[in-house]
Amino acid sequence: MQRTLALTAFELRYYLRRISTWAYFAVLVAVSFLMMSVFGGAVTGATASIGGTDGTVFVNSPFVLMTLISIFSIFGTLVVAAVSGNAGYRDFGEKMHPLVFTTTTSKTEFIVSRFVGITIVNAVVLSGIGAGLWLGSLSPFVRPELFGPNRLVAYLQPYLLIVIPNVLFASAIFFSMALLTRKRLPHYLGGAGMLLGYLIAGSLGGDLERKWIGVLVDPFGGSAFGLVTEYWTPIEKNTQILGLEGWLLWNRLLWVAVAVAIVAVAATRLRFSQSAGEGRKRRVADESEASVPLVVATRIELPPTERTFGWRADMAQLRALTTQGFREVILSPYFFAILMASALFLVMSAMQLETIFGTRTWPMAWKVIEVLGGSYGLFVVILLTLYSGELVWRERDLKLDQIVDSTPTRSWVAFASKLIALCAVVLILLVVVTFAGLLTQSVLGFFRFELGLYMQKLFGMQLIDYVLLAIFSLAVHTVVNHKYTGHFLLILFYVGIDLLPLMGIEHSLWRYGSDLGQSYSDMNQHGWFLDPFMWFKAYWAGFAILLAVLSNLLWPRGVDGRIRGRLSEAKLRARTASLALGCVGGFLAVGAGGYVFYNTNVLNEFTTSVQAERAAVAYETTYKQYEDLPQPRITAVSLEVDLYPREGDVSARGTYRFINRTEVPIPAIHVLIDDGAEVRDLTFAGGAEMTHEDLAYAYRIFELTQPLQPGQESTLTFDLFYGQNGFAHSLQNQVVENGTFVNSGVLPSFGYAPGGELSLDRTREKYGLEPKARMADLDDEVARNDNYISRDADWVDFEVVLSTSADQIALAPGYIQREWEEDGRRYYHYAMDAPILNFFSFLSARYEVVRDSWNDVAIEVYYHPGHEFNLDRMVDGVKKLLEYFSREFSPYQHRQMRILEFPRYASFAQSFPNTVPYSESIGFIARVGEDDIDYPFYVTAHEVAHQWWAHQVIGGNLQGSTVLSETLAQYSALMLMEQEFGADKIRRFLAFELDNYLQGRSFETKKEVPLLRVENQPYIHYRKGSLIMYAIRDAIGEDAVNRALANLLDEWAFQGPPYPTSRALLEALLAETPDDLKAWVSDLFEHIVIYDNRATAATARPIEDGRYEVTLTFESRKLLAGEQGEETEAILDDPIDIGVFDADENPLYFEKLRIDSSMTEITVVVDGLPARAGIDPYNKLIDRFPDDNDTRVEIATQP
Amino acid sequence: MQLRIENLSKTYPNGTRALRDVSLSIPTGMYGLLGPNGAGKSTLMRVLATLQDPDEGTVQFGDIDVLQQKSELRRTLGYLPQEFGLYPKVSAIRLLDHFAVLEGILNRGERKAVVESLLKHTNLWDARKVKVGEYSGGMRQRFGIAIALLGDPKLIIVDEPTAGLDPEERVRFLNLLAELGRDSVVILSTHIVDDVAELCSRMAIINKGQIMLEAEPPAAVEELRGRVWRKLIDHEQLEEHRARYHVLSNRLNLGRSAVRVLSDSLPGEGFEAVEPDLEDVYFSTLRPPAEASEQVA
Repeated sequence: MQRTLALTAFELRYYLRRISTWAYFAVLVAVSFLMMSVFGGAVTGATASIGGTDGTVFVNSPFVLMTLISIFSIFGTLVVAAVSGNAGYRDFGEKMHPLVFTTTTSKTEFIVSRFVGITIVNAVVLSGIGAGLWLGSLSPFVRPELFGPNRLVAYLQPYLLIVIPNVLFASAIFFSMALLTRKRLPHYLGGAGMLLGYLIAGSLGGDLERKWIGVLVDPFGGSAFGLVTEYWTPIEKNTQILGLEGWLLWNRLLWVAVAVAIVAVAATRLRFSQSAGEGRKRRVADESEASVPLVVATRIELPPTERTFGWRADMAQLRALTTQGFREVILSPYFFAILMASALFLVMSAMQLETIFGTRTWPMAWKVIEVLGGSYGLFVVILLTLYSGELVWRERDLKLDQIVDSTPTRSWVAFASKLIALCAVVLILLVVVTFAGLLTQSVLGFFRFELGLYMQKLFGMQLIDYVLLAIFSLAVHTVVNHKYTGHFLLILFYVGIDLLPLMGIEHSLWRYGSDLGQSYSDMNQHGWFLDPFMWFKAYWAGFAILLAVLSNLLWPRGVDGRIRGRLSEAKLRARTASLALGCVGGFLAVGAGGYVFYNTNVLNEFTTSVQAERAAVAYETTYKQYEDLPQPRITAVSLEVDLYPREGDVSARGTYRFINRTEVPIPAIHVLIDDGAEVRDLTFAGGAEMTHEDLAYAYRIFELTQPLQPGQESTLTFDLFYGQNGFAHSLQNQVVENGTFVNSGVLPSFGYAPGGELSLDRTREKYGLEPKARMADLDDEVARNDNYISRDADWVDFEVVLSTSADQIALAPGYIQREWEEDGRRYYHYAMDAPILNFFSFLSARYEVVRDSWNDVAIEVYYHPGHEFNLDRMVDGVKKLLEYFSREFSPYQHRQMRILEFPRYASFAQSFPNTVPYSESIGFIARVGEDDIDYPFYVTAHEVAHQWWAHQVIGGNLQGSTVLSETLAQYSALMLMEQEFGADKIRRFLAFELDNYLQGRSFETKKEVPLLRVENQPYIHYRKGSLIMYAIRDAIGEDAVNRALANLLDEWAFQGPPYPTSRALLEALLAETPDDLKAWVSDLFEHIVIYDNRATAATARPIEDGRYEVTLTFESRKLLAGEQGEETEAILDDPIDIGVFDADENPLYFEKLRIDSSMTEITVVVDGLPARAGIDPYNKLIDRFPDDNDTRVEIATQP
Repeated sequence: MQLRIENLSKTYPNGTRALRDVSLSIPTGMYGLLGPNGAGKSTLMRVLATLQDPDEGTVQFGDIDVLQQKSELRRTLGYLPQEFGLYPKVSAIRLLDHFAVLEGILNRGERKAVVESLLKHTNLWDARKVKVGEYSGGMRQRFGIAIALLGDPKLIIVDEPTAGLDPEERVRFLNLLAELGRDSVVILSTHIVDDVAELCSRMAIINKGQIMLEAEPPAAVEELRGRVWRKLIDHEQLEEHRARYHVLSNRLNLGRSAVRVLSDSLPGEGFEAVEPDLEDVYFSTLRPPAEASEQVA
């Protein structure tokens, strides 16, 4: 024991004296300091935030510190790898092991002391993270308002819970692998293995029922931390110190145990002998020894050979060296291991092909390629990093370099051969992905393989990216000429390249290998992404060529690795060919880069996040003064819109009829137009003079020749053109070759639009602006005069002549009046027969159509050929909803309902009058199985319900308005789903809603408000809205709720201004609610109510006739939450379900009881053998711990 | 063909002066470069093999300026470094073929012929299909020479090739070298005197980066004729003899030490005149009388 301590102390001294130890520490301190400065607002130009720090969460809050330290500890693993690998390898590397192993030190002493030593050293080094963050928080450059009080425990806790267990585990892995294999390579693989666990954890995170697997397999503990804190509200994030509890505890225990086990295994497997390999390795006996005379008498003549030098030799040598390099990689057992691991990962990914509400999508080729190819990218990057190093160093590692270097092979051949070999390895991986993809598609029973797309995406686009990275990796390893530093720099590169935008360097021209993104759509294929992709790659190819030339010149040949020698050698090598190639690279980089710059920054405007913020500030400070200026209302819209899908252009001409509904004359009209428009004409009927024109914000003021008197009407004719010039840095995906979707945003609007202001208070504060209310107060009577869709119109007449290219169908709200062809273009005249909201969409694509009808309503789904999967469900959804609404509420106001597919650039469906644009990604390719939630049906029902909830009853422009549209549409869809699929499915659906709500409030950036006052917050008006409406329906019955809704419609359909508020809904509901539940219903709307229901025990006693008396002990609390999540206890006296179930989950007893704070126990008699019992077992109420609501029933043995 | 080395100097960053103003002229045939470990042999070899640049000096091989025209020299160079490894998973015949390509032997038939011939001459034919990772030290060394001899080199540099070989292997190896390198400049660096004695027509002795002697071995030995004396003494007397005489070497002999002493006349009682050999030349060169007090086994 004493000797172990002494040895450990020796280890510690050894490492603490090494400069590298402190260099690692310094790097971690510096990086952490820098990141703290970035998130703390010390870096001008950076707009990064993390874990809610753009909202109300403090940068040094326990939650953010935990998040940051968890992430950094992953990168800290690199350091652990270096130190631990060294500890395992160093005796072998320095060929000291015979000496060490022959001392009297026992194996256990050796391993324990060394392991303890490195663990302590690693823990010390990684404490640099916390130290750096702490120093960063003290820096004078940070914005103090982003910081709360600095608490030591907030820095220590993540260190104890996350860092130290990670250090233990990582040290164990790296140390053991280096010790057992006596090689360096495997310990890099250990790192790859850890990353794999992390990735799998990430890919499982989305699955509600399998979250816990992901939580356990993540060796870094980040996923467990994420799960434990997933519902934390801002105030909890700011104050709560996480304990070692729940999943985090299990995760940490698991991995510490694994660490101990690994070291134990290493200890038993380690042989204290001189060589691990020699025992096994076969040595060939030199059979020639005895038989050959010692002196060779005959003269030896070698056959004559002709030597070839020059390009023919270069080619042959290139081939030979490439083959050799390639073999060296693929014959290594580790390569096989990585291949297997990656195959495993691909299978994991394939199983996870995006799910929505737990329902999968069909494995479309693009989807499979994106998921597999995308998640596999990390493997390729790891392999590129690893094997670029191995290839560059292979001959030197084997001590073969001097022989190879003294052959007449030219230096460039060596570099080129490594590059080609590396690319060949990448090709193998891409072939693996291809097969995995095809296999996935086949296994899932989907045989639309689209091999061409595999070729384009994997062997075209991805291969280009990987070749660029291969050149970069080889260049780094060649130039740096130190293996570990090379690896370290490469990892730094991969991390840094994603961090650059956070630091304010947002232009892709700065980020090696990048492009403007890509997104493949069945409808529009590569869309606008392909051109810029090619130009960007040409630009980077130029750089890559320069890098390759540089690497060739600096390729280490001979034994002098110092840069001076290599530079003078480079001068010798710099021949015409190198220079010419360098020039080609230079020209390519400058030419293609120039072209990209011309497109993104000259033809189009490039704006960084900070510039955009500043522009918003300037807009607000300049024009906010006009916000309340009386402006006219649009009453009729007549348009001619021409879509040019191939060019990406839109022309919008038309006439607005408008009226002065105010009581004062309007002397000037403020016209806002999207700043991308070329304004060809703006003419007011009575004449007007443009007295202000601000092109930067497209803000124009027209002084009318005659002020518009109250009640007076006039017209504006306009001619706007949106031309696409080359490509912008952020590509537009609205007007596209197939699948154009443009909305009213292309049209002029009247009056200052507050939507352009900065909304986050912390960002506003940065520019000296006052905090801003997200929406007008619920009781603001003035705001009620606008609806929340458009401030410059109420209900309008609408017609449009819409044109597109001859091969496409173009659609807009309204009924088709006429359809014709002219000058090779197709024209459609649509007109509405009744006033609608000022909210239109224009779509165009090569559609197929499926038609159906319900009573006199024509139902049409315009879809992309090949996306036939769920057309029936959609049509069915439309029919069922029309039927339900017509029966329960009021007739449908239109005679047609159309669903229009659009590309996956956005993933929503949106309801326009009698028209629903519907993204290809959220239903068209859903694969709804027998037990799945039929979300194509649900989404359709939701959108069609909007024809009532939004297009009939529309809320005012103030708090709570979206309750009337979104919450009610959600509720209606729920009712329809329950009718179609049963309450069981709804429960599963609501479980997702609850999860989404609780997560949503965790990411609140301003304040959470009660449902009644929702400020267009999706997690409230959709998610919580579903839950509350369902709970109320459950308590007062569907008929009562529907009566209330029918009354609401009756009173408010097509009404406004003033527009209804959420109070109208609450009043309608309360009118149908029994008196004893009124307070409860009001609470749900007016407060943020959180229940904490918990079944603590359940026992059953058999009584006569096979019946059982079940006693359930429970806790039930009702909490009211504040804006930041602060909770206060409320008096409980609410209807809550109590249920007892048999082993098949059938209810034996299920009643809604009135539960108050005094109750802790309930006893009921049931007719069968009870298995589980609980309070609110179906999670109808909002509860942050929904899993503890029921418990197993203990059966007492004696009667 | 002749290799002319002029005023070569090389100092390493840590201050070690590996070569100090070395000038040599090396004709066709075997040339022995003799010196203790760390004398600068390997540095010199690497400079000649284009793997390292000296700080000063020139090297000319025929009309090739070795330091500037590296690729020209590499075309006619065969180099076997002191310590080397091979791709372990490749068979000998495949690997030699690989190197033949690197040497620019592109004709498949010719390459096959020369590879086969070299494997036969180096006695590796039977083991040609074995992976070189499984070769014994001697086999690997012979395989190395096979690589070095590819492409009919006119300058062959072998650095300490016999270190680690058993005596038989050593002899066989050197024979091979002598045979195959008959028409070339062959530079053999070694710290084993016998290697040079048996094979080299010319030699140089290098120590601490300096050329101490350049000569033909027989002539150098002749120089010492009549000046080398031998005496059997007890171990205890060694120090005393060291102090008194110019002791070249001492060797254990039946429990006593046989010292060899350099002296123009009979140094004293008990000494007998002996035939000088190259080892005497070596030690007399390495150790001038003043500092002849180091222990050499």
